[in-house]
Amino acid sequence: MTQTSTARPAGDGRRIDPVDSGVPSPAVPRGGPARTGRSRRVLGLSRKRWGLFAFVVPALVVYLLMVIAPSLQSVQLSLTNWDGISPDYSYVGADNYTAMLTSGRFWNAVVNTLILGLGSAVIINVISLIVALLLDSLHHLQGFFRTAVYLPALVSPFIAATIWRYLLNYNFGFVNTLLRDLGLPEAARDWLGDSGIVVWVILFIICFTLGGNTTLIYLANLQSVPQELLEAARIDGANRAQVFANVTWPMLAGAVTVNMTLSMIAGWTIFDQVMVLTSGGPGFVSETMAFFIYRVGFGEYRAGFGSAAAVLLFLVVIVSTVAANAYMRKREIQS
Amino acid sequence: MTATTGTSSPASPGSSPTKGRRESRRALPPKPWTVREVVIALVLTALVVLVAVPVLYALLNSFRTYAEITRDPMGIPTTFNLDNYVDLFQRTDFAEALLNTVIITAVTVILLVLLVPMAAYGIERIGGRAGRVLYVLFIAGLMIPFQVRMIPLVEGFNNVGLYSTLTSVILVHLGGAASFGVLLYSSFLKNVPTEVEEAAEVDGAGRLRTFWLIVFPMLMPVTSAFVIIQALNLWNDFFVPLVLLDSSSAGTINVAINRMVGLLTSEWQLIYTGAILAIIPSVVIFASFQRYFIKGMSIGAVKG
Repeated sequence: MTQTSTARPAGDGRRIDPVDSGVPSPAVPRGGPARTGRSRRVLGLSRKRWGLFAFVVPALVVYLLMVIAPSLQSVQLSLTNWDGISPDYSYVGADNYTAMLTSGRFWNAVVNTLILGLGSAVIINVISLIVALLLDSLHHLQGFFRTAVYLPALVSPFIAATIWRYLLNYNFGFVNTLLRDLGLPEAARDWLGDSGIVVWVILFIICFTLGGNTTLIYLANLQSVPQELLEAARIDGANRAQVFANVTWPMLAGAVTVNMTLSMIAGWTIFDQVMVLTSGGPGFVSETMAFFIYRVGFGEYRAGFGSAAAVLLFLVVIVSTVAANAYMRKREIQS
Repeated sequence: MTATTGTSSPASPGSSPTKGRRESRRALPPKPWTVREVVIALVLTALVVLVAVPVLYALLNSFRTYAEITRDPMGIPTTFNLDNYVDLFQRTDFAEALLNTVIITAVTVILLVLLVPMAAYGIERIGGRAGRVLYVLFIAGLMIPFQVRMIPLVEGFNNVGLYSTLTSVILVHLGGAASFGVLLYSSFLKNVPTEVEEAAEVDGAGRLRTFWLIVFPMLMPVTSAFVIIQALNLWNDFFVPLVLLDSSSAGTINVAINRMVGLLTSEWQLIYTGAILAIIPSVVIFASFQRYFIKGMSIGAVKG
């Protein structure tokens, strides 16, 4: 973001200068049309910019219709008692919000979203950083291992969760069979039906990864750390851990910001695994906010209520993203 | 840049000139493996195998019958039996779901490549306050998950008769991917000099021609990264088609598998087979664009 604001005026200046500075001088009326042959004169600048605007329009229309307009309509619907099918509804003010904030089921979904979203963001980033560090210190076959490490990320969360659903089956699942074969039959449990552990089982499944894109981003940043710095630190007598703590880690601050932000946005909307593994159950125990919105809005015919939850989810995403960025940018500057 | 250091040679640029020369001379014969490297390679191999266990298990069981799976869950297939794969296509509408997924992925990617680079180019070259407003407007979409807008979208598609069509899924994906695309292309376009475009314009090329003939080819590294990231996302998506496609449509692969989980509760072998079939195209997409992909990730990533 900061990059944008600084880079843009410079770029602008370069492009506009020949036209802008030319306008007041008499040179343009004489030479302009003859030399360029294009209508750059009277309203030249704004015409050019309007022409460029036409480049943006197609994407902008789709984007406004598919993203911005429905988001605003969610806010409107959140103030109604609409059921999602009947043609009319009435406004109920903030009733949906007060009902939600006093609903234990909603807060349970919020807590699960925090555990799964924040938990998976932190754990996946730690895993990714470790894998990236291992890859970075490998000087042979690095390309091969980088591809190998990425391959598991090609399996979609949905497919992974579907397979896990069967692996965790109580009677014939891989996990319980393995435990029984290892002589630990008492460790076998109903992994997805035990309300005490089900959320943690889902967290484990989400984090059962080598990071994929997150790892690639860390690796790319590790490789852009100047070798001079690392060598200088080593010559000064720093051991591996010290080099990492004092040189590499501060240099990775930007990558940490990017990765944590991306992981958190993904984390707040965790849905596939819950849908496939438990459908929110047992009862409502393992619902996340995303699942709650889906279930309430489409399954229980309370579209107004679901929209209110959607608005709250949006607020969570925007507040956590902005706060996380502000905090981590501050850290970047200090280091 | 990172890609070259990563793949070309293990020799890293040394600090002092003498050191650098010594390193490059030593790099000619291959460096021997150190003990530390062997350990790291083994650890990485173990990690990859561990994480792949569920998929390998599904692959093995896709060659077995349901009776075999439940009688001996840890068993190994005794024959290379493709009955499940045949069954899946004959007894379910998996083929139609596969076709739907291909259409959604291909059409969306093509439209994205037609619309997004042009939009990002327009935003960057408009510049100034107007450009900045447009940029922020697009980037804001990164913070608007599909869940936030899905209820009005379903209603809207219902009203115009597009609900449960592939068109609705494609449109939603176009909107959703535009934000990321603008972010990716804009950061790259900032470093593309405008002089070449200006020269082309002076030579009489229209702005549209200038873009597609001069600028777009320069964007190829970003485009390849964008295409592969989006193709994988689209192929792997479950939530959008789940919400937008009802039982009047065969759905996408993932939706079809999800329905099988509900309907064919005692046919685990078909679920495993479907899962394996869903993964194969992802691997093919990745394998064919791998080089561009990692390069593209590095471009976007290092800039942050």
